[in-house]
Amino acid sequence: MDFLLQGLLKAIELLTTIDPETFSAVTATLVVSAQSLAVTLIMGLPLGFCLGYFDFSVKKQARVVVDTLLALPTVFIGLLIYAFFTNRGPLGEWGLLFTLPGIAVGLTILALPIVIALSATAVESMDRQLRVTLTSLGANRRQLFLSTLWEARHGIIAAALTAYGRVMTEVGIAMMVGGNIKWQTRTITTAIALETNKGEFAMGIALGLVLLLIAFGVNLSVSFLRKRY
Amino acid sequence: MSIDRLDLPRGGIIGVIGPNGSGKSTFLRLAGFVEKPTRGEVLFEGKPAGPFFPEVRNRVTLLPQEPFLMKRSVLNNVAYGLRIRNTKDRLVERVYKALSYVGLDGKDFAQRPSYALSGGEAQRVALAARLVLKPEVLLLDEPTASIDALSAQLIKEAALKARRDWGTTLIVASHDWQWLYGICDTVFHLLKGRFLGTGRENVLFGPWEPMENGLWGKPLGDGQHLLVPKPPQALAAAVIENVAITPQVEPVAGAEGQIALSGLVTRLALVKASGSIVVSVLVANIPFTGTLTERQVCDHSLYPGRMVAIRYQIDSVKWV
Repeated sequence: MDFLLQGLLKAIELLTTIDPETFSAVTATLVVSAQSLAVTLIMGLPLGFCLGYFDFSVKKQARVVVDTLLALPTVFIGLLIYAFFTNRGPLGEWGLLFTLPGIAVGLTILALPIVIALSATAVESMDRQLRVTLTSLGANRRQLFLSTLWEARHGIIAAALTAYGRVMTEVGIAMMVGGNIKWQTRTITTAIALETNKGEFAMGIALGLVLLLIAFGVNLSVSFLRKRY
Repeated sequence: MSIDRLDLPRGGIIGVIGPNGSGKSTFLRLAGFVEKPTRGEVLFEGKPAGPFFPEVRNRVTLLPQEPFLMKRSVLNNVAYGLRIRNTKDRLVERVYKALSYVGLDGKDFAQRPSYALSGGEAQRVALAARLVLKPEVLLLDEPTASIDALSAQLIKEAALKARRDWGTTLIVASHDWQWLYGICDTVFHLLKGRFLGTGRENVLFGPWEPMENGLWGKPLGDGQHLLVPKPPQALAAAVIENVAITPQVEPVAGAEGQIALSGLVTRLALVKASGSIVVSVLVANIPFTGTLTERQVCDHSLYPGRMVAIRYQIDSVKWV
């Protein structure tokens, strides 16, 4: 059990001494998770809104597809992205393999169904009188969309947080698409996997604690914003 | 709904009455331009209009039956309509004034979150959110249902004040027919999505069963029988436009082709537009209404609790 205590002490040391290797992994994690979450929200929120708000003929089927994609295995996404981005692949000329943007693309595919499904549920669970009320108060289509999103904000924040937690702790895609290159594409999770393979449990636990600290910081900020708005 | 044509006059107070499920809320959503009809069109000032049309967006507003307030403070709920119109001038002052219309103190209520309001307060805030817009047409869907008597009274007063102050056209759906007859210029009766007439018709529901002399009817439980001509189907609804009401003289019997029933006067209501009096009579457990002049009510000494006879011609029964 000593390695757990050692891991805690190591984590404090890594953070207080601003260890360059650790901070490189932390930066890489923050960059790919932020990039993928930004793209996911831009694409996923309107799609989730449409899925939850409008009634259309294939709505149930679309919902089943999105719900199924929630269970998409990360290694399968990694494999697909690898196949597309490798030199022989259809998108090989983009040069995204073993880069942070390449990882971000994979993480976006992973997070998109989460944001679509959860934001659709949040919008769907809104009181049906909301549309009547906003329309009767004179809202145009854009105002109706924005106000409905605002009313569903707590559910949408929960969707974003869930997606963020998923992309930040993901390892399969980051490993396969990023290649775990030191100083370049090594994220916290791939670093933990590497250190554990090397038998460096203390270092792995330290990095895990850093990951937890980031998650705690994000949730604390969101909790503050939720209280305020 | 099935409406061939219906004209609603500007500046009037129009009442819509009808049983649950008759289409009152649907009608108000169509007339309030928050829903499109599946067929046909709704015109505003002679031009076709619908949801989000600029011609109606800022001029017509509907207060739904269940008040919906957004997850914001009372101030932000009432100010919503002004903000989306980019009206920033004296915003708080206007909100306070609108709240005062519905008997709420702005200083006390403005910062309260919407979830901290009672049902009656929420309904009044929802109405204030419409009144702050000074609408040209205000549609109220059962505005006084399921709320306390004080809130109901304040809502009624606020709606009438809007009419007085800004000439707002009021379209009100309510079960409170005494109130509707008291304030409305016109009352429409809605049944199964169709307008029957002025709202003073008696609507009688089946099931009907064959009786003597080729008539159909149903037993009323007090030994009397409600008789009608042969219905198109056993569950059809019958409409009798008006019934005659006279003091009860034993035995209650109708003339040739006439049905007479004994009942109890329950309410008298003045019809503001015509000055006539609607007399409500309970026959067994079925309510009937008849319209009499003030003179007739005096001559017959009609008052709640008085036993009377109601009479209708068998051939005046129409089927819906």
